[in-house]
Amino acid sequence: MKDTKESFVTEDGRHIGSVIMEMRNITLRFGGVVAITNASFDIREGEIRAIIGPNGAGKSSMLNVINGFYHPQEGEIWFRGKKRPSLRPYEIAEQGIARTFQNIALFKGMTTVENVMTGRQLMLKKNFLWQLLRIGPALDEEVVHRRRCEEIIDFLEIQAIRNSPVGSLPYGLQKRVELARALAMEPKLLLLDEPMAGMNVEEKEDMSRFILDVNDQYGTTIALIEHDMSVVMDLADRVVVLDYGKMLADGTPDEVQKNQAVIDAYLGVEH
Amino acid sequence: MLPSVDMDSIIESIPLYIRRNAKKLSEQPAFREKEFGVWQTWTWAEVDVHVTELALGLLSLDAKEGDYVAVIGRNRPHLYWAMMAVQMVGAVPVPLYQDAVAEEMKYVLEHCGARFVVADDQEQVDKVLEIKTSLPNLEHMIYVDGGGMRKYDHSKLHAYGVLQDAGRSASQKTRQELESRIDRLNYDSVCVMLYTSGTTGKPKGVVLSNRNIIISSINSCSFDNLNSSDEILSYLPLAWVGDFIFSFGQSVVGGLRINCPESRETVLADLREIGPSYYFAPPRIYESMLTSVVLRIEDTGRLKKWLYNYFMGHATMVGSAILDGKSVGAWARLKYGLGEFLIYAPLKNALGLSRVRVGYTAGEAIGPEIFDFFRSLGINLKQLYGQTEASVFVTVQPDGEVRSDTVGVPAPDVEIKIGDNGEVYYRSPGAFVEYYKNPKSTLEAKDADGWVATGDAGFIEDDTGHLRIIDRAKDVGKLSSGAMFAPKYVENKLKFFPNILEAVLFGANQEHCVAFINIDLNAVGNWAERNNIAYSSYQELSGHPKVLDMVQNHVETVNHSISEDAMLAGCQIHRFIVLHKELDADDGEMTRTRKVRRKIIGEKFDDLVAALYDGSTDVYTETEVTYEDGRKGKISATLEIRDAAFIQTPSAVAAE
Repeated sequence: MKDTKESFVTEDGRHIGSVIMEMRNITLRFGGVVAITNASFDIREGEIRAIIGPNGAGKSSMLNVINGFYHPQEGEIWFRGKKRPSLRPYEIAEQGIARTFQNIALFKGMTTVENVMTGRQLMLKKNFLWQLLRIGPALDEEVVHRRRCEEIIDFLEIQAIRNSPVGSLPYGLQKRVELARALAMEPKLLLLDEPMAGMNVEEKEDMSRFILDVNDQYGTTIALIEHDMSVVMDLADRVVVLDYGKMLADGTPDEVQKNQAVIDAYLGVEH
Repeated sequence: MLPSVDMDSIIESIPLYIRRNAKKLSEQPAFREKEFGVWQTWTWAEVDVHVTELALGLLSLDAKEGDYVAVIGRNRPHLYWAMMAVQMVGAVPVPLYQDAVAEEMKYVLEHCGARFVVADDQEQVDKVLEIKTSLPNLEHMIYVDGGGMRKYDHSKLHAYGVLQDAGRSASQKTRQELESRIDRLNYDSVCVMLYTSGTTGKPKGVVLSNRNIIISSINSCSFDNLNSSDEILSYLPLAWVGDFIFSFGQSVVGGLRINCPESRETVLADLREIGPSYYFAPPRIYESMLTSVVLRIEDTGRLKKWLYNYFMGHATMVGSAILDGKSVGAWARLKYGLGEFLIYAPLKNALGLSRVRVGYTAGEAIGPEIFDFFRSLGINLKQLYGQTEASVFVTVQPDGEVRSDTVGVPAPDVEIKIGDNGEVYYRSPGAFVEYYKNPKSTLEAKDADGWVATGDAGFIEDDTGHLRIIDRAKDVGKLSSGAMFAPKYVENKLKFFPNILEAVLFGANQEHCVAFINIDLNAVGNWAERNNIAYSSYQELSGHPKVLDMVQNHVETVNHSISEDAMLAGCQIHRFIVLHKELDADDGEMTRTRKVRRKIIGEKFDDLVAALYDGSTDVYTETEVTYEDGRKGKISATLEIRDAAFIQTPSAVAAE
């Protein structure tokens, strides 16, 4: 990827904009344990950004920092040209940042479509009482949101499980439902925490295609954490490598793959 | 409502039928498709406008009369409309199997020299793009669903909606051109070209005229009194002649309503929601319905199980008789009524068959238990016998004359005769025009008097006039002893066991018969679970000694039943193998309509066939498999060979 501040169009015709989010010298500690040490990188509008690293490298912590779930002791987060104050997760969601979780956080007893509809919660204008009655304007509003959710269900090809309780679905499909819910928020920035974890090859291929399609169709900026190196190298425009909370490298998949520090971290070094 | 057949004027083309429907059935729903969770509806008037716009759009791309236009995708109104629009401009629609891989599509697209392709979505467009370089005639592609194709080069690629917009703003001159093209259509213009699935060799393009399709549709609609109050669910491949008649010909001519499922996976749920009144399914679908019912009943509580068994027992005894209007005792009727309330009606509802007035099955023999199960529930399931070359209908079972072992009497306007070699011939208004660019095959199949050879061997029952099919005429061979070898007959008997998905019999010019068996993963997997048999893969389950015991049992039962028929006693299975992989169309072992290709299988697994005949007790084999995305891999296994008990019959002994 070019190292310019201006927006440009990639070889395959995607539009990459200016920096949407910037992490400046982030340090995160839990008591005496340092999870992230002085990490700095940015995310550009329209790109697929991957954060990789071995177990315990601080990847999920980093995602939780972006998400506002953790508050770093040091460093600044800049979002869309403004320094972000310390916010609660729902306030961050309102800013257009949605996420999925490594170990799936759906409402197991609810159906697929009900789960996806929860992604629209922040956009519902009518108050609780109206919604409870489900009449008049509240119903009109629900119809509009349901339509959006159905489009996403169609997009992710999960029509057949629309009315199935998600708890009864296989793991790969639950992951897809979670992605659907995140998309229902119409996020500007989508955070995916190990979207392929525990999937078989075919499910991984499907998920990769959906991630690319989301990025292409909706122009959503995506930051993802992933273990599976081959997946990351295929999907991502740029990759950040973390190890023991420190940044080892930052660059295109090709650059990162050739980086000696990265090779050492992944394959081990002779002592 | 229309009378089932509108005789007041002779209409000689599909486009004119659409115009008639737009006038006479204008506000009646013609098409439905579930999209975004809601059933969307289009009336005949809307369909007419829509199709006309699309046809004008095709003219803007310079579509010519006599062009071939391939249509690829799942059952969607838009693709049916595309076929109608193609007919309007005087071109010929060529529907393709949507799950064919690019290589298979290449043959058909090359052969018909398609100038246009109408594709459903990115998946289909990608396949055509992959082979584009070898298709010099291909000029434009049109897609319905643009997902994922935003960045594609759109100079030769057009969105369906864009083309329609172009049609909407067409000039007066173009509109006149379209009308004059529609006027030029008549009974002899080509209505559609359908490629046979190619059980043997390369697919052949069957050319069907408006006469073929329209008369066949009129006749079949009046045979079963189908009309514009009937609903059907369109879910079978567009490329298959059955779908073209049921979802297209009969719909346009008889005004039937077409319902298209939301996606492939939702077909069963959509079936329940629509509750069609006219339903077609190949035997395997009925079979899997029955299997799922049986499995779910196994899992219910004791009371429900008892109720089910009790009333199904009763239905088996009297259900078919009640359906046929035969006399049944008052008490039995009352009990059947109670059963209807408690079991049959809820069951039919769960299967989506509550409203089925006319149900058909064809393509393969159906197991008698399966057939009787549905009929005893009060579903008017019947059999028909047909082929692409006949515009489907050769024989059909009239109401009240339904049996599982025949395929019925000649359909209206169809004549039948049996050749010297036992082959069935027919002559009918539905008989195809020719095989495209293949006069040699046309001559072989159809003689100067219009008699068409079906390629199937059969005979007509003296007392009832019903036709019975034994096997493919060329598959009926001889054992080295001179006894008759009718593989399909035996394979079907094996397949009637729920545990057996497919069977392939070998024995032509051999001393005795041997067989390959494919287990049904659903049924056997469930059985394994029940019996605490652990397995990690299809391969492991299929090789399990207890599974082999079970299959052996089935084989021996079949041997016993075959031995009772003196003519076929020589076909008893002496040795068999349970295959380690499922036979698959992607590996070329079956046709897209899931018929086994015995010869190809025999060549591919020649090591196994040899082992079956040389007396060894096991055999090591390596097999190439093709994955869904077209990549290839290898699986290897050591398979156990089993000997099955068979019965020495006097005739078999005499033959030796």
